[in-house]
Parts: sequence; structure tokens; C-alpha cells
Amino acid sequence: MSAARSAAAAIRRRYGAGPLHLLALLASFALAGAAVVRWFDSGSDVIKVLAWFAGAIIAHDLVLLPLYSLIERIAFGAPMPGPAPERAPARVYVRVPALLSGLLLIVFLPDIAQLGSTTFHAASGLHQNGYLVRWLAASGTLFALSGLAYVLTRRGAGRQRTRASRRQSPPER
Amino acid sequence: MRLPGTDRDRPPPGPFRRAFWRSPLRGPWLTSVLGLVLLVAIVLVAVTGLLSNDAYNPRLGDNSVGRHLGVLDFYLFPWPTHPAWLYAATQGTHVGLGLATVPILLAKLWSVIPRLFEWPPLRSPAHALERASLALLVGGALFEFITGILDIQLWYPFGFFFTDAHYYGAWVFMAAFTVHVALKFGTMRRSLVARRGLAPLRESLAATRPEPPVPVASDLIPVSPAAPSMSRRALLGTVGAGSLLLLVQGASQAIGGPLRELAFLAPRGRSGSGPNGFQITRTAAAARIAAGDVDSSWTVTLEHAHRTIDLTREQLLRMPQHTYELPISCVEGWSTTQRWTGVRVRELAALVGGTGPLTLDNQSLDQNGPFGSASLASNQIADERTLLALKVNGADLSLDHGYPARVIGPGLPGVHCTKWISAMTFRPAENR
Repeated sequence: MSAARSAAAAIRRRYGAGPLHLLALLASFALAGAAVVRWFDSGSDVIKVLAWFAGAIIAHDLVLLPLYSLIERIAFGAPMPGPAPERAPARVYVRVPALLSGLLLIVFLPDIAQLGSTTFHAASGLHQNGYLVRWLAASGTLFALSGLAYVLTRRGAGRQRTRASRRQSPPER
Repeated sequence: MRLPGTDRDRPPPGPFRRAFWRSPLRGPWLTSVLGLVLLVAIVLVAVTGLLSNDAYNPRLGDNSVGRHLGVLDFYLFPWPTHPAWLYAATQGTHVGLGLATVPILLAKLWSVIPRLFEWPPLRSPAHALERASLALLVGGALFEFITGILDIQLWYPFGFFFTDAHYYGAWVFMAAFTVHVALKFGTMRRSLVARRGLAPLRESLAATRPEPPVPVASDLIPVSPAAPSMSRRALLGTVGAGSLLLLVQGASQAIGGPLRELAFLAPRGRSGSGPNGFQITRTAAAARIAAGDVDSSWTVTLEHAHRTIDLTREQLLRMPQHTYELPISCVEGWSTTQRWTGVRVRELAALVGGTGPLTLDNQSLDQNGPFGSASLASNQIADERTLLALKVNGADLSLDHGYPARVIGPGLPGVHCTKWISAMTFRPAENR
């Protein structure tokens, strides 16, 4: 083996992946490091930034996601194994509008909960009232549409069933 | 490499065991579809973000708002004035597409969450470096999206300066993003090809099965899956519906006109009435503008090479007036296009003997915020549409919109359309 190839093989053994893998990651860390150095040169508060960085990961991975699973489990019971059903169970018609409503809520939480109202008013001359009502109206609409979809799919399925059973046993005359 | 106390085959109970993860929809194909969409979206959001930094011409005057430019600002170029809506488009895309990306990002994180708890946690130095990079990726993504979303709603609970944080945080994120794409592109392509592209979207709920472990094995595929309650197309459809809802919020604020009211949860989704009823970037109250500063005693001080002229509003009104339809485009992603009437800035320059390429430093009566002064570049001054505006939509500017006079021009970020002008200093443009 040539010197380069045996060096690459040695890296692979010790490091766990090829030399390109190592180079790419080191380059990435160097770029990130350059950004961080310039960032804290301009006087930003290091502790606060790190707190928000870490807090975001923790809040999402270890709070938001488990919370969503927990709510599903409490509301609808643990997921059971089995074959795929013909029609979506009722809980899907609750889950989808709930997820969309929740998405609007977390993205627009400052507007809805009127956080930062002083800076908001100073900038725009407007107030943050009214956003809660709009979000509730939007959520209500989403749930209503989902409920309509549920009724329509059930009714369509019901008609299919009656048609099938009528074909099998024609009505007596 | 093995950490003491970790047995490769005996992961601790709970999420560290593969059987914990029940969703039958998880798998390399789902993650690859979401990854591909994110790849396109995030590249667009990142590029428009960098363009936004460029639009501020941060090398001029105080335009960098205290940030010291460095090697990461290698891409800066003179921001053009054609078309007039250029910044409105790039920043509207940045915010609108950024909002639309949120549900896709959340779905992608959901699809790979088992990897957070993979066992053993550190298989090799390469594995450790990759996981460190992923921490920067996930943390960086969440940091960028959260700071951006809070900024457009004008809530600043974090206590550090948004502009620096969002800019440098973006570089950290993009560094991690680039290496992630480089390392995972092959896997993504193989996973999509293995299931014939988007073919799984044709599967109904009854036909939905966990992804097969061949030809692409993955620890994301559940070992004891629950029955599916949604098909993959239903899941992706829900994500798409979320994206659409958020895209409408962002884009409607940017496009404005009859669409604006569709942005029913966004801060600039509402319009007032009358010629001055359009959206405000900063109120006169916040700028602490006193009535005595803007009455008939107000003048604008024009200066060039030790020559100074003070003009009252009446004198400005007697100069040739020109009217143009121009947008105010805010960094928060919204825009509003109005009809502005005023004096051409290049004619004001000529009054004080300014000829040839010039830069302009504008000073405002508002010394209370970060944009009390802003600088314009030579191409912006030379453009005939760059005005010192005195009226909007035929009526005098209201106090909130910058009475007695404000700057307006094509392609300018909103905060460079300096309101409550007090002084305009022309200098010869330096050759770069």
C-alpha cells in the first residue's frame, strides 16, 4: 500500500471514518469558531447567547416533543400494534387541527399573548390586542373543517357499506 | 472506543431502546423527503439573509450598527437600485419562506429524534465529532428561527443584540448545515431512489407499512411499530398545510395591497385609513420627537466640503417636486408601496456643490435608537427616484411617518429611509 493509502487506513481505524470526514468536520468547526469569535468581539453577552442556544435544544427535544407524545397518549391511549386500518381513526381528525393550531400558537405567541407590547407599540403605533381572538377564530375554523371532513368520510363510507349490502341481498318485494 | 459503563447491547430503558419509538412512519425515506425540502428552503433563506446584510451597505458610515465587519463579510457588493422592490422581494422571501420552513424543520426533528438517544452514545471519535456538529446544527437552526420569529413580532426577551446574534448565529448554523448536507447527501439520495422517489405518496392509509430495511437499513425504522393512524402523504400534507398557513402570513405582509389582511396573525397585517394610514416602522413617540422640533422653525442642514445651506420646509416645497411610487421594505419582512412626493436628493447635492460620485450621511432628529443616522451610496444618490419626501399620497407626511421630511428611495431597507431629517452631509465617494 502507498504511504497515503496506509495513512488513510490508519485514520479510518483510529478515528472511525475516512480523512475527508475529519477534514469536513474540522473545516465546519473552524468556520463556526470564526463566527463565534467575531460575535463575542462585538460585545454580545456570551452567557445569554449560550443559554438561549442550549435552552432551545433542551426545550424542543426534551420538553416539546415529549409533551406532544404525552398529550397524544393521555388523549387517545397508547399506540397499539396491528394492521393498517381502512379509514383514519377519529383521533386523526383531532390531531391535525390541533397540530396546526398549536403551530400558529407557538410561532405567533408574542402577538397572541401580547408579549413585548411596549416595543410593538413603539414600532408600529398599533396594539397587540385582537391577535388572541384571531387565533381562536382560526383554530375554530380548522377544527370545524376537520370535523366536516370526518363527517363526510364517515357518511361516504356508510353509503358504500349500505350499497354493498344491498347488492348482496336485494330487498324483498 | 467505549465509555465505561456502556454496554453496546444493553441500552438503558426508555428512549434509548429502539422498541420505545412506535411510529410506523419513521424511516430514511421520510427523513430524506423532509431533508430535501429543507435543503432547498434553507439555502434560499440563508442566501436572502446574507443579501439583507448586503442591502444595508454596512461598509458605509454607521450602517453596520456597531458591528465590526470582517472576513465573513467577503460577499458584500453595492446594493442596486433596480428594481425598486428588490429589498422587498429578498426580505419578503427571507421572512415568508423562513416562517414556512418552521413546520418542515419540526417534522424533520421529530423524524430523527430517536437518534438523540442512540446507543452507545459515542461509538468513535468520528461519531463524537458528528454529534457535536449536530448539536451546532439543531441548536443553530432553533436559535436562528427563534430569534428571527421573535424579532418580527418585536419582542426581545433574550437581552443580547439581535442583529449581531442573528448574523453570526447564521454562520454557525450554515457551517454545521453545510457539513451535514455533505455527509448525508448520499444517504438522502439512496433512500429516495430505493423507494422510487415520491412513490410512497401514492400509498393510502390501508397500504401504509413501516419502511423496509432493504436496501437502506436504518435505526430510524421502528422495531415494534404501532398501527399507522395516518398515511405518509397525510403526514406530509399536514406539514404542507402548516407551511402554507405560515407562508401566507409572511408573504401577505410583504406583497400588501388586497392581500395584506390575509396576514391575520402578523404584526403588519392591518392597514389604517387615509393617505398616512399605511404601516409604521417607528413611531414619533418612540423617537421622542418633540413638537417644537418639527414646527415652522425646522430646517434641514445640507453640507458638502465645508459649504452649508439650511432649508426650511417652504423652501423645499418651492423646489421642483417629483412623485414616485416606492416601497418601504422593512427587515421584518413586510413592505408597503406608496406614492411619495419630494425633492430629488441629487438636486440637493448640487445645491451644495456636490458633483461626481458621492456618499450621503443622513441625520435624524431621532437620536434615541440605532438608526438615528444612515448612509446612502453613490448609486442610490444618483438615482432620480431617491427623494427627500415631503408628502405621501398627496398629503403632508404625518408625524409618525417622518414629518417634516424623510428620505425614500428604490431598494433601500426601511430604516435607511431616514425620518425627521435634520442634516444631510455629502462626501466624495471613496474608491474601493
